[in-house]
Amino acid sequence: MWRYLINRFLLMIPTLLGVAIIIFLLLRVIPGDVVEAKFMSGEGSGVSNEVLAAERARLGLDKPVWEQFAIWIWGVARFDFGISMWTGGPISEEIALRFALSLQVALMATIVATLLALPLGVIAALKQDTWVDYAVRVFSIAGLAMPSFWLGILMILGFLIFFKWVPPMVYTPFWIDPWQNMVQLVWPALAVGYRYSAVATRMTRSSMLEVLREDYIRTARAKGLWLKLILVRHALKNAMLPVVTVIGLEFAFLLGGLVVTEQVFNLNGLGLLFVQAITRRDYTLTQALVLLVAAAFIFVNFAMDVMYAWLDPRIRFR
Amino acid sequence: MTDVAADTLLDVRDLRTEFATSHGVVRAVDGVSWDVRAGETVALVGESGCGKSVSALSIMGLVARPAGRVVGGEIWFKGRDLLKLSEDEMRDIRGREIAMVFQEPMTSLNPVLTVGRQITEACEIHLGYTPTQAHARAVEVLGFVGIPDGARRLKQYPHQFSGGMRQRLMIAIALSCRPDLILADEPTTALDVTIQAQILDLMKDLSRQFGTANLIITHNLGVVARYADRVNVMYAGKIVERGTAREIYANPRHPYTLGLLRSVPRLDEPKRARLDPIQGQPPDLTRLPPGCAFAPRCAFAIDRCRAEVPPLTSVGGAHQSACWVADSLPGVAAKPVAEQVPA
Repeated sequence: MWRYLINRFLLMIPTLLGVAIIIFLLLRVIPGDVVEAKFMSGEGSGVSNEVLAAERARLGLDKPVWEQFAIWIWGVARFDFGISMWTGGPISEEIALRFALSLQVALMATIVATLLALPLGVIAALKQDTWVDYAVRVFSIAGLAMPSFWLGILMILGFLIFFKWVPPMVYTPFWIDPWQNMVQLVWPALAVGYRYSAVATRMTRSSMLEVLREDYIRTARAKGLWLKLILVRHALKNAMLPVVTVIGLEFAFLLGGLVVTEQVFNLNGLGLLFVQAITRRDYTLTQALVLLVAAAFIFVNFAMDVMYAWLDPRIRFR
Repeated sequence: MTDVAADTLLDVRDLRTEFATSHGVVRAVDGVSWDVRAGETVALVGESGCGKSVSALSIMGLVARPAGRVVGGEIWFKGRDLLKLSEDEMRDIRGREIAMVFQEPMTSLNPVLTVGRQITEACEIHLGYTPTQAHARAVEVLGFVGIPDGARRLKQYPHQFSGGMRQRLMIAIALSCRPDLILADEPTTALDVTIQAQILDLMKDLSRQFGTANLIITHNLGVVARYADRVNVMYAGKIVERGTAREIYANPRHPYTLGLLRSVPRLDEPKRARLDPIQGQPPDLTRLPPGCAFAPRCAFAIDRCRAEVPPLTSVGGAHQSACWVADSLPGVAAKPVAEQVPA
């Protein structure tokens, strides 16, 4: 068990290194660099080539690619991500607050999704092909069909029209004013969580249906257990494995991928930062963001492995 | 049918179980009657699809809904008709008074729960045992089924046991609440031949030791001969022959039983003897022929067989056969005469 987990953990290092190399090279393949983006935007105003060259030298862009990479990766190894090529501010500061916000929304959306998906999926499976099942399926299909940013716009409009109220548009960190923070973030979390729950509900339903047909469920019934105990003790734990996968991957995806929904709720999260960093060719910031999201994916995968091991002894004892 | 004996534990009368399929209604069990006396081992024999497993599931009230449904008959168990009980009342009987051992020990245990959890839960629910009492009982039943070092083994998971051991675990679960009757649905089919005998011997021993009655469902007449007191042979949802194990084995009076006997190797025969499979396929239960369901595969069929369903009638005492030509069948003596069957 421990060996398995340590193995999984150590595997994170080569994976991240691979991501680092790929993103580093990809960025340099894209035409243009930060200096061009900064000085030559618009009408390509009269900045001389000497100024551009001096600026490139200042940012270290004149060095050979391999040297740039070595400098960068050496910093990363010491958790020093350098400074943003665009703003000049330390990258860790640029990211910290936005990451906190995106992480919080992602976590809250995950909680919303899980609280919706598990009960709904289980009920739909139990009442398969009845109106309850159809209602749950319509509800979850609707969640898949509605983009969360659109649902967010509807929410805001609804609040405005019916309550003459709009969620706060300025971000307050949780540790400063938890109430104010929740009042702002609970809406994007609901909008995103609903959509997210749709996939998880359907997965829970089908996984539960599959498990309920298993021989060991028949054994449990033959023992004379009540339905509730069969569900909770015998079925749920088995049915959870694929659901954990769906929830985990979606969570990792949320961390970096909420560009439009963040706009709707005026949230300054990672999504927006990502778009800005790439359009500005801010190499260092983009690299740091990609690494962060990759690390989040890998970490979530690791957490899922731990969860599998907890759920399934056949993995634990391997 | 014969009168109900005083020690009759389970009395199935005219049981009918149907399944609605896309091809029409399948009468999986079509008016079947049989009984089990206290402490006795009865066998239900037949090819797959003949309705033997469905019979057992009907007794437990576990026929897969909504497709399957018991549509008629009575199942008397200790003075109560199980078919008239509510789901709550049935739940108290399942596992407590009638336990079941399933065919697939590999998939019939829950992979994510410890073996201990799976044995103790029935005692906790049915007998009101505390966790400590239930644990002690679990160690005890593991001892009964020949698994030593129970306290340690209880903490393990099913995948840490071999197939034969898992079937022992299933039997331990079945025994845990001291039921009066154990229904064993093909308990040895998924096991190695060497393990099969061990498991059956174990069941027989436990039955003697605790006075538990066994219903063994099998397609293997060899099993029947050694372990059953009485035998019911099923074909296409009906009982076609019944009698004591000795009568069935030594003097089969139905062509289907005869076919079954000739198609399995017998240890009491010369090695060279050829096996003689039954020709054809089991019938499509949605489109049964008008007469005897076995007639299309039967070497002895006469015209009457294809027109009229033969009733189950006595061919000597309690030995009954549903065959128009029961009296003119050859013995198993078409082959070397069988030695006496060990009881």
